Amino acid sequence: MKYAMLVYADQSPWEGISAEEAARLRAESMPRWIALFEELGKADPDVQGRELSDASEAKVVRVVNGETVVTDGPFAETKEQLGGVFVTELPDLDEAIRLAVLVPAAEYGTLEIRPLATR
Amino acid sequence: MEYLALVYGNPDAWGQMSEAERASAYEGYMAVARDATAAGALVDASELEATAAATSVRVRDGEALVTDGPYAEAKESLGGYYLFSCDSIEEAVEWAAKIPAAWHGGAIEVRPVHVEAEAAA
Repeated sequence: MKYAMLVYADQSPWEGISAEEAARLRAESMPRWIALFEELGKADPDVQGRELSDASEAKVVRVVNGETVVTDGPFAETKEQLGGVFVTELPDLDEAIRLAVLVPAAEYGTLEIRPLATR
Repeated sequence: MEYLALVYGNPDAWGQMSEAERASAYEGYMAVARDATAAGALVDASELEATAAATSVRVRDGEALVTDGPYAEAKESLGGYYLFSCDSIEEAVEWAAKIPAAWHGGAIEVRPVHVEAEAAA
């Protein structure tokens, strides 16, 4: 079964901090992310992962009466925003949960696991 | 650059569509994937199972909390994504505007994929 693991987290702690501080915080959590990537790679060598730029860089696209309307900012103005996605092929949901628990962001955000639809 | 286009739609509205309308919308989603592939602009695309099939995982004080259901209950939910490879966000927005949900009361959120400064250099 293929699963999308959606990483939701509050991005506000990253706002207003210096580039140096952000780099330091990233470096600090990096060993745990690397450990996660190793586990994911063992479970599924073809795992795909993407980290997203800040939600403030999002654009929302709607087509109203045939006209494209583009607004700046994310679709939902919530405190927690989607910050990254993994797509991985795993034997079952239990394995997806085991890996989700290893995601550092699960400690301050939420991991949503969604099976991919098959048609 | 890669851009993730998140497809937000109203599953109730989808449920109220006729079989023919759904088939036509589905063909629209396939057409975006086909055209973007032909243009060399598609990296990946998938439809997600409904939010009813979601599981949410949080770790608090070292304890894993697993609940059924999505991260947030909302009228409009994430139904799928396209990962585009484009020269600019404007180009990604053009692809997003072709996605049927954008035409049917939903919305597409386009997010640049994060690139490490050293990787981009």
